[in-house]
Amino acid sequence: MLTLRPSHLLRCTCLSRPFNLLIPPISSLSFRPKPLSLSSLNPYSNMSSRPSAFDALMSNARRLAAKKTPSSSSSPAKKRKSPSPTPNPNAIDPTELKPDPEIPTAGIEKPINDSPKPNLDETEKPTDSKKAKAAGSASERNAELKGKIGLLKKKPADFDPKTVACWGKGERVPFLFPSLAFDLISNETGRIVITDIVCNMLRTVIDTTPDDLAATVYLAANKIAPAHEGLELGIGDASIIKALAEACGRTEPHIKTQYKEKGDLGLVAQASRSSQSMMRRPAPLTVVKVFESFRLIAKESGKDSQEKKKNRIKALLVAATDCEPLYLIRLLQTKLRIGFSEQTLLAALGQAAVYNEHHSRPPPNIQSPLEEAAKIVKQVFSILPVYDIIVPALLTGGVWDLPKTCSFTPGVPVGPMLAKPTKGVAEIVNKFQDIDFVCEYKYDGERAQIHYMENGSVEIYSRNAERNTGKFPDVVSAITRFKKSSVKSFVLDCELVAYDRAQKKILPFQILSTRARKNVVVSEIKVDVCIFAFDILYLNGQSLLHEQLKVRKEKLYDSFEEESGFFQFATALTSNDLEEIQKFLDSAVSSSCEGLIIKTLDRDATYEPSKRSLNWLKLKKDYMESIGDTLDLVPIAAFHGRGKRTGIYGAFLLACYDDTNEEFQSICKIGTGFSEAQLEERSASLRSKVIPEPKSYYRCEVKPDVWFETSEVWEVKVADLTISPVYSAAIGIVDPAKGISLRFPRLVRVREDKTPEQATSSEQVAEMYNAQKHNQTNNEEDGEDD
Amino acid sequence: MLELRLVQGSLLKKVLEAIKDLVNDANFDCSATGFSLQAMDSSHVALVALLLRSEGFEHYRCDRNISMGMNLNNMSKMLKCAGNDDIITIKADDGGDTVTFMFESPTQDKISDFEMKLMDIDSEHLGIPEAEYQSIVRMPSAEFARICKDLSSIGDTVVISVTKEGVKFSTRGDIGTANIVLRQNTSVDKPEEATIIEMNEPVSLTFALRYMSSFTKATPLSSTVTISLSSELPVVVEYKIAEMGHIRFYLAPKIEEDEDESKPQV
Repeated sequence: MLTLRPSHLLRCTCLSRPFNLLIPPISSLSFRPKPLSLSSLNPYSNMSSRPSAFDALMSNARRLAAKKTPSSSSSPAKKRKSPSPTPNPNAIDPTELKPDPEIPTAGIEKPINDSPKPNLDETEKPTDSKKAKAAGSASERNAELKGKIGLLKKKPADFDPKTVACWGKGERVPFLFPSLAFDLISNETGRIVITDIVCNMLRTVIDTTPDDLAATVYLAANKIAPAHEGLELGIGDASIIKALAEACGRTEPHIKTQYKEKGDLGLVAQASRSSQSMMRRPAPLTVVKVFESFRLIAKESGKDSQEKKKNRIKALLVAATDCEPLYLIRLLQTKLRIGFSEQTLLAALGQAAVYNEHHSRPPPNIQSPLEEAAKIVKQVFSILPVYDIIVPALLTGGVWDLPKTCSFTPGVPVGPMLAKPTKGVAEIVNKFQDIDFVCEYKYDGERAQIHYMENGSVEIYSRNAERNTGKFPDVVSAITRFKKSSVKSFVLDCELVAYDRAQKKILPFQILSTRARKNVVVSEIKVDVCIFAFDILYLNGQSLLHEQLKVRKEKLYDSFEEESGFFQFATALTSNDLEEIQKFLDSAVSSSCEGLIIKTLDRDATYEPSKRSLNWLKLKKDYMESIGDTLDLVPIAAFHGRGKRTGIYGAFLLACYDDTNEEFQSICKIGTGFSEAQLEERSASLRSKVIPEPKSYYRCEVKPDVWFETSEVWEVKVADLTISPVYSAAIGIVDPAKGISLRFPRLVRVREDKTPEQATSSEQVAEMYNAQKHNQTNNEEDGEDD
Repeated sequence: MLELRLVQGSLLKKVLEAIKDLVNDANFDCSATGFSLQAMDSSHVALVALLLRSEGFEHYRCDRNISMGMNLNNMSKMLKCAGNDDIITIKADDGGDTVTFMFESPTQDKISDFEMKLMDIDSEHLGIPEAEYQSIVRMPSAEFARICKDLSSIGDTVVISVTKEGVKFSTRGDIGTANIVLRQNTSVDKPEEATIIEMNEPVSLTFALRYMSSFTKATPLSSTVTISLSSELPVVVEYKIAEMGHIRFYLAPKIEEDEDESKPQV
């Protein structure tokens, strides 16, 4: 169906071009279709305006054909008698192309279209009017869609999902639709409006082509597969530049210059007018086609894979029109950056499902079904982050049954539960008055989720839900030894720690990080690891996420046997005696642990995936020495060094990540805590990331010497946090116009396990600031007077 | 049932070499009249049309029209296993998902069978009309190949202009410019060495050299090449395949840069 459509669209342009009809045959040789004039109709004036030389070839030939058969007897007279103001493609027969006093005026008002494609094979056959309407030209459809896209901003309650779609039920959703919606979103800042737009966009898709919903959601999330599948596009800017250059007939240096000017390849693609005409325009892109191409790109591997990826990108670019190239490129770079987060998408998905609800009824006592639905989808996603399962379940089972149809499954990692920082034992005892809690050693290793499936296979996932199984073959082969025979399947939350089995000693994290990253062979392992298990999320086919920690702990202890140096339970202490905890902390620190994790046992003690919950607190040894936690920050710029540091960077500008606005906000300068070698190393590694201008998503009032692309995450220890008019971190949260800055930041280490987007969030910064203010109001004021 | 026996097997090898860099996958269409292919490159800038008429085969049997999707690189790999003097037979069953290439050495003492998997390729078939062109140039194919090669070392695009004087190929690059003019020349010993220029109207068009050079991979198929040009139309570069058919390359022109830059940028 799809492949057929362009061919009969191909037909109407040539035939409906008014000058075809006006030009007498004798002058046909000087006929110029003026392809360039087409671009002026297009507000984007981009590749979409590329004329199709083939159209010209076709129309020219047809005119010649007409000249050769001057007899008009074959043309039905009745058609000629009813010329409509806009020429109906099916009313025109090639023989009518010869000059005819009746017809020429008919076509004049018809604007020139660039994209529709006529097809020769069908020209002779009169088509029924329905077909002609369907053929109603791709560009007309595009224009229609563009005119209506603003309707997505309507409140969902007033929105009729049938109003925007310009494609038929069951037809593939055009890629232009989400692209235009993205465009709309990028001009909005309010979260509610954005949620409404996304919600209405999804509803439109559900209404017409529910099969395309999963692909649409994936594109909106800018993902191609769940994180644990480890499928990545793996495209560098270089490949995109090459593909762009080839797709629009430019040279690579030309594209690179433009890239420097604009700083965003998406904008370059959008502005790149082609200097190369096409034989004919390919079929319009659809959401599914784009998504499938992305997956194919990600799956290309081996010899020539970069070349194959480039060719696939090129094929997409060639077919892209309007604002499609912009979003196509940004999606390929996985930098959509239009200011909405996945949480917004999930909320919108939940709401869209409510409007579409036919399957299940909301529980009776719910006041706001929309909010509740958003919560359900978010929660289900946190335990089963797989759209391929959630979306069909939403469509067939409805949102209210979603928790039943989608539950935690071994083999799909959940985000690990995280702990909030605290400053001292006293604070903990205060916070957890009258509540039972347990203190555990906080081991300095790698967080791991070990999944043991009923078929006996084992997978290990990292903190970021990446598959790490290949890194720990020793753990995989050993794990079955520790479980009791009654255990058929489980998911363990644990820390993998480098361990010296001869001396029975925990080794620091730095040793662990010397292990190879993938395809590790057991016989070549030099660094042994010990599994320190502290939680169990799943046992024998039952999810334990909703059980209290006390129950989970019991199950954990009942299901496994310790084996010193291989598998141990995290050392734990149940006490609420301040003195005892302090001692326990000291012993943790002396056995090479980072500190303690404190967890409530039987109140609010369910496992909350990916949440930094107050029910888990961490107490690090560093907090004892100074105030505050360490922050994970991203270097976004630097200042040239002077004096001893000439030739390298003297100080770096750090930023935290604001996930609400999807931007990096400057937080402080850092110039201390580096050894000379470290400083040189960091300078060297960042020098390759220099960009001419700050990214649009950097929020920064400071003027540094050079800007960087975000690439590294540094763990930084600070003395305290202050309000600052200069820095932008958490701006608007604590103070409407001022941000938060750090005093005495010192580099602790580079966090290689974190991506820039996983840096400390501005909300966390604000919380830390508030917590600090709360605890030491007086000191704080003194500090600011300095 | 399809069975095509081609005594001059090297011809098929040459055809593949000519198109495999331009197009990755393509459908070969067989009908009672012949064996043909039409495909566009991934940028939709060039189109190749191949026709091998049934008369050119020693044995041609095609019971019903059949379209076979092939990866041209893989097909080329197989055909490379055939000797230059081998007789090639193409065989396929109706509705089958493979095609078989059989190579027989001229002395019949070696027979090889290569079976290749077919693939499903979405492609739209375009009807290409026979158009009249403003200018038609016929010249030795080796000369054309040489010109493209030489110009490629200087620039990215070639301007082909036909005037009363002759045909001019010119390019411009960072290091300088190049112009090659050929005049009509019919006083040669062999007809294939002639350069014949039929000009109804002067014409000047710009093309990406990358594609032109790629077309010249068909040079071994024919000693002459015909280039047909009209303003704003794709150029046709045609290599006749003796007594069998042709391979035609269509290339959409580039939009001239100066005209391009005079347009308001949005």
